[in-house]
This record gives sequence, C-alpha cells and structure tokens, in this order.
Amino acid sequence: MEEDSRLSLVAEMIRDHISLDGIDRYLAETGVQSCDFVPVQPREFSGEIFAVDGSNASICNWSTANVNLIRAGYAVYQGRVWRRTVITFDDVFLADPKQCKNMFDPFLLEFFGLNGVDLKESDLDRLSSYYRELQEYVAINDALAVAQPGDIILYDGSFDVFELLRGALTTIFARAEQKSVALLAVAKSSSLFWGEEISMPFVQHTSMAGSLLLPEAAWYLSLKDKKVDAGQGRWNGQTYIVRFCGQSEHAFRVDAPSFLQDEMASVLGKLAAYSCSSECLGYPHALFRAHRDIRITEEEGAAVRQKLMGELLEMGMPHSEIRMLMQDFHDILEMKSGF
Amino acid sequence: MAITQEERLAPEGASLLKRKVIEKGDTMYKIVSKSVTEYHFTVPFNLNDEERVEVGQIFSIKDQGLTFLARVLNIEHSSNYDGHWDTTIKGTNFFDSDQIFNRVIAEPLGCINKSLEFKKSRTLPTKFAPVLRAEKQEFKFLSQVMGDIEIGHLRNGSRLVEEIPVALHSEAMDHHMGVFATTGMGKSNFMKVFAASCMRLAVRGESKFGLLIVDPHGEYLKGKGLIKGLTHLKKYRDGLACYSTSKQNASDPGVEELAIGIKDIEPSDVELYFDWSIAQKDALDVIPRIFNRDWLTEIQTPEGMAQLLKENVIEGTAGKISQRIKNLLSKNGYIDNIRTSIPNILANLQDGKVVLVDIPKMSDRSELFLLSILSRCILDTYKEEGKPERKNCLITIEEAQRVLGAGSNTARFESIAREGRKFGVGLCAITQQPKLIDKQLLSQFNTLVVMGLGDRNDRIQLEESAKQDLSSMDTEIQTLEKGEAVVSTLKIPFPVPARIHRYEDYLRCLDKEDKQESLIIRGGFKPFLD
Repeated sequence: MEEDSRLSLVAEMIRDHISLDGIDRYLAETGVQSCDFVPVQPREFSGEIFAVDGSNASICNWSTANVNLIRAGYAVYQGRVWRRTVITFDDVFLADPKQCKNMFDPFLLEFFGLNGVDLKESDLDRLSSYYRELQEYVAINDALAVAQPGDIILYDGSFDVFELLRGALTTIFARAEQKSVALLAVAKSSSLFWGEEISMPFVQHTSMAGSLLLPEAAWYLSLKDKKVDAGQGRWNGQTYIVRFCGQSEHAFRVDAPSFLQDEMASVLGKLAAYSCSSECLGYPHALFRAHRDIRITEEEGAAVRQKLMGELLEMGMPHSEIRMLMQDFHDILEMKSGF
Repeated sequence: MAITQEERLAPEGASLLKRKVIEKGDTMYKIVSKSVTEYHFTVPFNLNDEERVEVGQIFSIKDQGLTFLARVLNIEHSSNYDGHWDTTIKGTNFFDSDQIFNRVIAEPLGCINKSLEFKKSRTLPTKFAPVLRAEKQEFKFLSQVMGDIEIGHLRNGSRLVEEIPVALHSEAMDHHMGVFATTGMGKSNFMKVFAASCMRLAVRGESKFGLLIVDPHGEYLKGKGLIKGLTHLKKYRDGLACYSTSKQNASDPGVEELAIGIKDIEPSDVELYFDWSIAQKDALDVIPRIFNRDWLTEIQTPEGMAQLLKENVIEGTAGKISQRIKNLLSKNGYIDNIRTSIPNILANLQDGKVVLVDIPKMSDRSELFLLSILSRCILDTYKEEGKPERKNCLITIEEAQRVLGAGSNTARFESIAREGRKFGVGLCAITQQPKLIDKQLLSQFNTLVVMGLGDRNDRIQLEESAKQDLSSMDTEIQTLEKGEAVVSTLKIPFPVPARIHRYEDYLRCLDKEDKQESLIIRGGFKPFLD
C-alpha cells in the first residue's frame, strides 16, 4: 500500500458501523430482546456424540475439469473419551459437469432413494462442493444407522444447503426424527448479517450482546421471528446462535430440524458439557476431533498428486504433457513447482 | 491408533461404502523418530508421580533380537495438534489423551545382543518399536564390566537399581580420578565410601593400590558427631594406617603421631610454603649444591649463612631465608630432628593400605607443604624399581584447583598428573571448581565422579576434557541431588548414573559382612542399604 488513507477510512467505517457502542441499536434493528438469550445448563450424559465433517483438496485443475481428493466421515465420543473415527469416503473426484453425474447418482439412489440431479449448469468448484456435501450426508446417514436414541449427531456446516441436495437432507431429517437422534449443524463461519445501511456481522454482534447480558455463561438464541435472513422456510428447521462455553468468546450458528424445537435446551446442555476442552475451548470437542481426523493435509494432497503423475507416466504420457496438465501456474509464481 | 477396514457397522445394502474405522490404539511408549544419534519416543502427558519420566532415566527398546538402551536427555510437551493452546490455562482439561503426550528425547547408549554383549549402536530401532523402562535384566551386562571398588548402586532416574552395584576399577586408578561437586553434594561421603572399599580390599589381600588421604578438616579419622569416620570400620581397620598431627588423636591406639624428618624436606618443598622473590628463589636453588640433607639446620648457623654469602647470595636474602625457615619449623611441629613417619607411610601404601594423614586445624600452606613432601617422596620411591608385589598408589588432593590450576606454581603435582601413571602413581583430585583446573591436566583424568555442578563453566570444562561424552548429560549433572553421581570411567562403556552409598549405611553393612566371603562376581556383592 502506498498510502494509509484508505486503510484509515476502512478503520473509521468499522469503528462507526461495526463496533457496537452498547447493544440498543442491535436489539432494535434485529428484533432480538434481552429475554431471548436463554442460559444453557451444561449436563453430562452417557450417550454418544457423532461429529460429521468433510474435506477436499485440489489435486489438479485445468479450466474444463479438475480432480479433487475428497474425504468424509465422523468422529465418535462418549463423554470426554474418543471412541473411534469412521471414514466413509476417501477418494478422488473428477469434477466435469458432463461426466460426473454417474458419480452422484448411485449415492443419491442407494442412500436417499433419489433419482439424481442435474449438474450441467454447475461450475467446477461448486461441483466439488456438492460432492463433498453429498459424501458428508452419506456419513450422517451412516452415523444415524449406528446411533442410539438420545445420541447427538453434529454436522460441521449449515442445513441451509444448495437446492440440489435438499432432498437428501429431508430424508436424513426424517430418519433422525424416527430414531430419536438429535441432529444439529454447527457452522464455524456465517454470512448472517443485520443492519440497513451496512451489513453488520450478526453472529459476532450476538456474541457480544450475549456476553453483556449473560456474562460467563453458555446460552442460545433462537432466530425465529427475528429480522435476520437465515434461510427460514427454505428448509424444515430453525436457526440458533449458541455459545457453548461461558469461558469462550465465540458463538456459533446452529441449525436444527424442526422436530428438535422443544428439546433444544436439553440437547445444547449436553453439548455444553463437552465443549470446554483445553484443546479447543468453546467448540463441541467432537467436531474439533472430526476436523483433525478427517482433514486432508497439504502433504496428503501432494502425495496423491505424485501418485497420479506416476500413473500417467506409466501409461506413457510424456513428462512435458503431464507438467502442462498438472502444474498450477500459481505454484510457478510461488516457486514451489514440485516437478 | 489402529485402523481397520470395517464392515460390521455398515448399514444394510451400503455397498458403496468403504468404511475405514480408526480406533484407539496403543500410541504411547513408542519410538517415533529420529536418528542413530537421537531417539524420540512418546509417553502419556498425565503420568502419576511414580511413573513420571525423568532426565537421566534409562529406557530399553526391544527390537527383534536387539535391546537398545537410551538415556533420557530432555522431555518436552508435545502433541499431534500444533496449536498453541497449552500456553494459557483454559478449559477444563485435555480430552484427547491419545493425541497429547510428552515427547522424550533420549541419547542412545548402545545395544545388547542375544548373547548379552553390549555394543555401541550403529543403527536405530524400527519406528514405533515399543519402549520400556530399563529394569535389572537390561542392566545385567553392567555387572560384568564393573570393577572391584564398590561406591554405590546404579540409579535409573531417581530409582535405585539395587541389584547392580557401581564399582570402579583398581586398574584405572593410576590413570587419575577426579571427584567434582559443589559444597554439600557428598564429596566427603564419597571419599569415605571409596576409602572403606579400599580398606576392605586391603584386608582381603585383594588391594591393587595404596590410597593416601591428607585430611585438613579432621573429618575422616573419627568423623564428627553422628558422622562416622574411617576408624569406625572395625572389621577392616587393618586396612587403614593413620597418622595425625593432633596429639590427642595420636594417643588413640592405631594412630601414630605424624613426624616428618627434618632431613626429608627439600628446598623445593619450602618453595611452596612462602611467596619468594626471584632473588630468594635463586638462593633456594643454590642450597642443594652447598648443603647436605640437614640443610634446614645448617642454614640457620653462622657457617651456613657464610656459605650462602660465598655463593653470591646477598646478606638480606640469606637472612630472609633463614628467618622464614625458623618460622616454618616453629609453626610445623611435626617436623622432627630424629623421627620420621615417611618410611612407614610408604610401606603401607606399597602394601595397598589406606593411609590417612590427619592434620586438623592446619593452615592451607602447611597442608600443601606437607602434601608436597609426601607426594615427592612417593613419586621418587615409585620411580625406583620396587618389589614385584608392590601396589600402585593413589594420592588424594582436596581443593585440587590450588595445585592443578592454570598458572598454579606447583609443578610437582602437575608432573604426577602427566607422568605418574608410568610409575604407578595416580592423583585423586577433589574440587568444587573444575573450571579452575588446567584443561590439559584434566584430560589426563580417566575416571570422573561428578556429583552435581551448578556452574555451567564447571560443566563445560568437564565435558571438554572427559574421555567419555558428557555433553549430553549437562541437564542431568545440573539436576543431580545430594549423593547422586555420574561416573565416567575406563572399562564401563558409558557414563553411569549412580547413587553413592551413605557411608554410615555402608559401614553397617560392611561390619555385618562375612569377612571371608569372597565376591560372588567381581564388583558384585549385595547391596548395603538396609
């Protein structure tokens, strides 16, 4: 930056519009009231908590198609004790709108009884995200199959999903309700906003308001009838903002199917009891572990890339062609070609 | 973590699922890295006090036919999570005990093969090979390499391995020994234990050297208060010859009043006693040429003075020398015109006994003067060819930095350090400050008993001069507790952690011992602690 003037301008804007001077304006404009913040009483329970997550890493990327390594699965805890982590999908995915329908359809049919989706208009990045989400739903479905009534399944993300996959989610909700398993989606980041002149971060400001109203406590806030667009009506459920641990400053968006509406205080109390680990304070620990166990590291991505290159070489492709195909020019700019 | 391809939990008809289940496995006490020169292994972060891993502890790694031994150098907080959450106190506790651990950094000592032979290791254990605390079984080979002078027990961290005695080799004693410790860490206790073992060997006819101890503090003869002395070891009292400048002590049977014959003293001995000017030193150099062995008497006579003047010594210098000699003789009452203990002392040393010269309340200079005379007599005697059965000799020097320090004007002790070995004479240097000892001289010491040194420069000096690599033991030496030692010596393949016997306990057990009982294995009679 040559000058600091624009930076100063942005700083002023943040101070004037995003920094809250008290919570009156927040309460007035969002329709949230002080009494909407409900304390959560942490409560130990003997059931299992399943935490579902997914991960994807680009292996090679060219303009008309790309290859991703995708992984999905779940970690299982009983109380503070990790029991196991189950990987339900760990494979490469060729993202080509013309070719990849046959990678979606068998899963949609086998696990959710759906006839397939039309992906022709989807861009490449979105295709990979769809596939990863699909595999995460398969993981939720697998967790549901082994969960006992009263257990909790957490999903890393939101239930306000792409329209194409809502059918799968509907099936999952129905199965969860039938089995009396609590199913919640916990989002680490959220695009929820409030304010008319400028978009104000809703989760962060709710967290600040909660800290003032219920300091040192876990709490939740329902967004029902609030002036915030959380996709209400697009899916069969309700969105909450939850602080799982009084010691933490962080609050999260939590989506829950409508059948859980009356049990939220109880379910969140069980989660609060296991969201205070020293490893990751304020976040349901099972989700932390799922993230750690399921993520694809840079090294893993590089290893798969090398393996793919080896296969191509064995098939007789010239090295120059492979390099042209596999190398991302960003890597050249960053001087980390790896070739 | 254990990974399995699992089918049992798969929902019916889920043919597309290829589940991989990761379950809790045994992740601790396993080698995780790193090279032939350094092993890393994991231990739980929340071990109880009894199971805690300590610096200096020795672990064994069994890998097929080999048992690797490794000594703990350091312990670090570590985890498979690379966050920095452990720098602040938050949350209720760690949840993932399989992911959070302590990383133990260990130095390979060597490996034992199926034939129980110990060798330096040129390879490393397989990754994830299991690690166990070394127990007596793994240390058995050490019994075979220990010597005959028992000083304590093997120590593994803070724990004693009572089945394995630590014993020095008599054969190594003419290669000199250094005992290094700050005040209160147990130097005197060590020396008494060492002397008691030597007395025991002498009585059994197994001694290979005589030990000379000059004690300016009066603590070795009878002890002080509840602290016992060498004369309390009744059973092996015959292995001890005592001389004392104290008339009271010398009145005890078995303690001879020390006498140094006036003719036993040479001008070079007197040089140590005073600070001399160059002219005075030149005059002292003249003395052996113009006087006979009775020079101390003659120089005080008018004829003696005249002889000095005839050699161009100016009157003032000659007068000063004469006056100082009068002072020397009047202050050191053990100098005798007729009697001398030196032949007896030499005979006892050559017989392999412990010779204790008790000089309580003697000044620093007087002590060095006496030690100088004795050392010279010993070296001169040992330079001459003796009887075949003559034993070697080890001369103890307390506060050795006084005579072995860089720039100290005491060539006599330096020459013993440099060439004494040729004639079977070794030095046992005791000091709190090894950093003050000349590095070249220190490198002549092949047995080191290190008992806790807080000063980093002291440790560096030892590390740079030791025959075995002590550099990796810096932390351990720094954290040694009273009575604990690291012993580095010839014939024992690596520096051994030891707990020196408490002298009073050792005494009790030696007194109970069957005098005729022979060693079961060399250096391996049973522990002495009650």
